[in-house]
Amino acid sequence: MLAMMEALAAIKAFVASGGPILYWIAALAFAMWTLIFERLWFYKGSLGKIKAQTVDLWEARGERKSWNSRQIRKALISRAASKINQNLDLLGTMVTLCPLLGLLGTVTGMIEVFNVLAVTGGGDAKSMASGVSRATIPTMAGMVAALSGVFGTTLINRIAERENHMLEDQLTMDH
Amino acid sequence: MKMNLKKAIVAVAAAGAIALSGSVMAQDKAASLDELLQMVKNSQIAENKENRQREAQFRKQRANQANMLAQAEATKKAEEDRSARLEQQHKEREQDVQAARQQLDDRLGSLKELFGHLTSTAGDLRSALDSSIISVQYPARTEFISELIEKMNSETKLPSIDEIERLWYELQRETVEGGKIVKFNAVVSDPAGNKAEREVVRIGNYNLLSDGKYLTYDVKSGSLNELPRQPGDHMKGAAAIQQATSGFTKVGVDPTGPAGGTLLSALINSPSIVERWHQGKLVGYIITGVGVFAILLALFRFVVLSAMGAKVSRQLKSNTASEDNPLGRVLKVAEENKGADTETMELKLEEATLKELPRIESGLNLLKIISMVAPLLGLLGTVTGMIVTFQAITIYGAGDPKAMAGGISGALVTTVLGLCVAIPTVLLHTFLNGKAKRIVHVLEEESAGLIAEKSESK
Repeated sequence: MLAMMEALAAIKAFVASGGPILYWIAALAFAMWTLIFERLWFYKGSLGKIKAQTVDLWEARGERKSWNSRQIRKALISRAASKINQNLDLLGTMVTLCPLLGLLGTVTGMIEVFNVLAVTGGGDAKSMASGVSRATIPTMAGMVAALSGVFGTTLINRIAERENHMLEDQLTMDH
Repeated sequence: MKMNLKKAIVAVAAAGAIALSGSVMAQDKAASLDELLQMVKNSQIAENKENRQREAQFRKQRANQANMLAQAEATKKAEEDRSARLEQQHKEREQDVQAARQQLDDRLGSLKELFGHLTSTAGDLRSALDSSIISVQYPARTEFISELIEKMNSETKLPSIDEIERLWYELQRETVEGGKIVKFNAVVSDPAGNKAEREVVRIGNYNLLSDGKYLTYDVKSGSLNELPRQPGDHMKGAAAIQQATSGFTKVGVDPTGPAGGTLLSALINSPSIVERWHQGKLVGYIITGVGVFAILLALFRFVVLSAMGAKVSRQLKSNTASEDNPLGRVLKVAEENKGADTETMELKLEEATLKELPRIESGLNLLKIISMVAPLLGLLGTVTGMIVTFQAITIYGAGDPKAMAGGISGALVTTVLGLCVAIPTVLLHTFLNGKAKRIVHVLEEESAGLIAEKSESK
């Protein structure tokens, strides 16, 4: 309990020095990782059922060589693929947005620095320090979030690609 | 050469003028040339006579002049004697003054040191009272102090006990009043420039409030002004303290108070969000316009694509092809070409799908372009802002950070605006693109399968 409170206080201090942009970055990183885990959960769980259903539907067909069968196979694969590839684009976008948000924090922090400069005339370096930390910490946070996201999304993309291929391979045509 | 020419022209012109005037005179008096000749001769004779007379007069005067010179020299001598005498007298008097001063110093003794302290204290107090907001309540306190200082600096006057005690009284009053919250009436001018007598609350020598507004005290003119922009919610309570009679009331206090509330006005001078937005200037407005357009476009496409997606999924479930959705239209094409062979069918389907694509994907590319252009526009604003800043440096020099800081923060505002437009636009584009892709997917890859399934189930 005490350790948790200490951790909470540390986070609060971090956010206080980094500015409100950190909340946005945190929210984005949280949404990103939620989506990554949702995908992993899906690949480990319900994807198997969907694949089995698709294969069963295909195997239940009487013939698998006509034009009709080819179109139906394509539709089956497409339906499964749309489930496998769900949210992948969104994940990619989120990864690119993290550094952009960091940059936003940098610029707003710099504005704060120059505001202090305009009010105090630059005589007080200490009063500018808060603006500088508000400029640098979000950049770092954005970078960290983006890097962590790159690992997650690369993993998810590779799994999705492999699953798509495997499904296609399983639905065999007769010759 | 040129000069000579000029002179020649002037000479000719002068000669011409003389000749002209001569002829005019001749016409006035002489009737014929002979008469004119006679007249010239007569006047020559007259002039000769006149000149001789003048010469005689000059000779007479020369004797007179010598007389006058002798007289002037005598006067000069007398004045020089008088000057020497007066100088001697001045020297003697100065010695007397010196002696008197010496006597004064001797008699003053340790009092002299006291006056020194009094002078410096009075000087400090005068500058403190000048800038103190308590002077609003008790004006004209400094005149007496100025008089006192003048008296102590002069060598002929001494301050009286009363005056010294008054200095002490003013010091004490400033201290006591600095610890009080009082109400009094004073003339206050509002931001529009209207002056009116109002009830003013003074908090020590920190703040002046009136009618729930914070005031500033202009030391130079001695006038009270309402702050043109009042501080935000966290500094409220100015009205509450004016109505309060006892107990505690929250109110904002400017710790730099004695200097006239500089912190409060500095805080208020830092621009609001709207002012910051205006700092972005033309580029900022363009970015905002582009952003608003992008959001409206995204909203419109969201409505269209949602409706389309709902209709497509309804179509996937029903057996009859309806004209109100892309999938239905593609299926209709298939129904119309039921008898055709598979290759023709495939071509027809492809054609129908291609026809639907622009309607599904319209606007999405524009959104993507906006999401990429917005940060670039922000960068453009930054660079133009920096150009302005460097122009300011070349004009005013780098010595004044305030002159530069304004331009720089203006430059950064456009970057912020660019990012603020780009981030949601990227998200919206991805979201809408996903929606559109799903529909296109159904059209491209599932429509043929649907037709095949239908033909099989019959």
